[in-house]
Amino acid sequence: MSVITLQSVKKVYKLGDNVVHALRGVSLEIGAGEFVAITGPSGSGKSTMMHILGCLDRPTEGHYLLNGRDVSKLSRDELAEIRNRQIGFVFQGFNLLPRTTAVENVEVPLLYSRPVVPAAERRERAMKALEAVGLGDRFDHHPNQLSGGQQQRVAIARALVNEPTLILADEPTGNLDTKTSIDVMRALQELRERRGITIVLITHEPDIAAYGTRIVSVRDGMVISDRPNTPRHTQEEASTPVMAVAE
Amino acid sequence: MSNLRHFLLLALSALFRNRMQAALAMLGVTVGVGALVTSLALGRGAQDALDDQLRAAGANLILVTAGNYKVKQDIDTDPEGHIGHTELEPEWRGPDSPRAMPASSGPVGEQGRLIAPVFQVEGPAAGGAIQAVPGWFIPAHFEDDPMAIHDHPTARQRLGDASAGLGSAATLTRDDAKAIAGIVGVQHVVSGVHENVRIFVKDSPEQKQWFTRMHGTEADLPEIRSGWTIPHGRFLNARDVDRSSQVMVLGRVASDRLFGQGVNPTGHTVLLWHQPFQVIGVIGSRSWATQPAPGDDQFDAVYVPVTTIDRLLNLSKLNSISVTTQSVGDTTRIAKAITDLLRRRHHITSTMPDDFTVTTVAQQMLGKGLPPDLARAVTGNMASVDQMTVEQLSISLRRTNWTMLALLAGVAAVSLLVGGIGVMNLLLLSVTQRTREVGLRIALGARRSDIAIQFVFEAMLLSLIGGLLGILCGVAASGSLERFFQWSAVVSPSAAALAVAVAAVLGIAFGVYPARRAAQLDPIEALRHE
Repeated sequence: MSVITLQSVKKVYKLGDNVVHALRGVSLEIGAGEFVAITGPSGSGKSTMMHILGCLDRPTEGHYLLNGRDVSKLSRDELAEIRNRQIGFVFQGFNLLPRTTAVENVEVPLLYSRPVVPAAERRERAMKALEAVGLGDRFDHHPNQLSGGQQQRVAIARALVNEPTLILADEPTGNLDTKTSIDVMRALQELRERRGITIVLITHEPDIAAYGTRIVSVRDGMVISDRPNTPRHTQEEASTPVMAVAE
Repeated sequence: MSNLRHFLLLALSALFRNRMQAALAMLGVTVGVGALVTSLALGRGAQDALDDQLRAAGANLILVTAGNYKVKQDIDTDPEGHIGHTELEPEWRGPDSPRAMPASSGPVGEQGRLIAPVFQVEGPAAGGAIQAVPGWFIPAHFEDDPMAIHDHPTARQRLGDASAGLGSAATLTRDDAKAIAGIVGVQHVVSGVHENVRIFVKDSPEQKQWFTRMHGTEADLPEIRSGWTIPHGRFLNARDVDRSSQVMVLGRVASDRLFGQGVNPTGHTVLLWHQPFQVIGVIGSRSWATQPAPGDDQFDAVYVPVTTIDRLLNLSKLNSISVTTQSVGDTTRIAKAITDLLRRRHHITSTMPDDFTVTTVAQQMLGKGLPPDLARAVTGNMASVDQMTVEQLSISLRRTNWTMLALLAGVAAVSLLVGGIGVMNLLLLSVTQRTREVGLRIALGARRSDIAIQFVFEAMLLSLIGGLLGILCGVAASGSLERFFQWSAVVSPSAAALAVAVAAVLGIAFGVYPARRAAQLDPIEALRHE
């Protein structure tokens, strides 16, 4: 069953007198367990696509079915609930709360879950998620005490904590050096392989897109190519479990 | 919600991050709430002071005196609603009662002036040679020892029968007093025997002496005379009365005359009827309505247990019974009840006049028990002075009070508004600073209400802390006003609770706008915000 179905999705922005057609009719289907890299130059519409896929924005036209449910006409608060339960976000800038420990950062999505998750359970689940990305021992570190890669892994743990079916990673390696980028990408790959989580990766770097099982290229608000890909790490090295390795 | 603690910490840390601005915003709330608390305290204090003064002036006091000096006038029959003697000249009843000239000039309505004169033209038994001049010029005086002059039969004559002069009629008993205490709505009942006496300071070389009023009374009297203070020692207590002890409480004037201005006389011995009495306390006035003055009945007076008088003079009758009602507005009803009760007890048939007199102080008070300016203010507001009751007087004073209170409340409201603007300002700053965080929280699944609550919480916390500090400031300010300016300011728990509620509402009211702004943020824009 497909996790994501986009049916001729259009997105139009009005900026004063200018009308910007960010998406001009995108249809796309992403199945469970796929690792899809969406690539394209800046201004291609990939960010808009990511916002719509992440239920942060609604299409102007067309339909978006997430896990079979049409979410294109839901209200803000309904979308908030969908984001909370079904989507994990990994951002380029990590977006961790400053002056807040790693484990507390991971807990944030649970604060907004309904029914309410008790504090003890929140902590337990957040610790598990941190351990899954190999940062169990850094739970009480503040973001400024962690390296960039570690911060991004905290962000991945936060994306995982509510056990979503979909993880949306928006330029997750944009702020990282090559080595750390590889670590983060491996961590994402492992999530897909071990948990079967669907991952959609937005990137403009071909190197990073190469970690996906499928690469979708976008340009001028339209999908210009959609091809399967042999993920990169299987070509290069044996699948050593990097996730449990501390940096 | 179980995330309360999280949001509390979140709000605290947000406030701590902007601690300087938070402190300033809080200061605004503190000033506002402090002003509110102070104005409420002043309003309440003025109210209490007014009630107090009314009580101190005896508005709830009913006097029952032995004898009837005005046979034709009775409480129920007076067509104009006056009770008894509002004017100075009592119509003495009985052809053979001693002619007397009231010499004291105390406020109308106190027992003394109507009950007995300070000096007499003729003494009943001590020979007619006593001059009609004030007693303290006379070396020996028959009042020095009533036992020497009136032994029992004479004393009984003196405290004669129903036809004797007011207060000297022997018609009231302690059992009457006990019966009156049983009437619903009665607060205190105190029996009284009143004499004119000369007292000496024992062992004083210059033989200091003073002519004054002696009240045989009971321990409850200060409850009736709520305008009293006890600057030295204590008043009579139940033990003194039970044991008929020879102890004495001096009125301020008597104390000053015998022992000097402001001297603490407790422990000294005073001679009364050649009997030693130990001075145990002094009473003064705390009401502007009554100031100690020579010749008045309360402070130019001495107080001894009524039982001691009974023992020394072998009496069983009372001159008066003082009664207070629980409610100032209830005096007329209770006065009527007392009249009915005593008529029954004294077996007075409907055709016979009372052998006692019931007077309520409340209706006499207008313009007399009050200082002139206050009386003017009150009467100026009343259409018909004649019809005025204490309730109306109290309402009129209260209205003046409310004007002042409204003014103060206005000041408090303006300060609160300023405080609220400070809170809003801080919140807007907080929202701007945390736009990115808000965007993230929305992206991670926070509903609009979650975000709004977070900021309202912050505003409420800020104004609650400010409010609590404001209550402390208000209490301190009220205390200072009371202490340094003698303003009456009473911080009541309900005023404090109101202040907390106002602070909380303030936080919500001024937090809602910034909170809404935060909740309406577009997560995409907010996440891009730097």
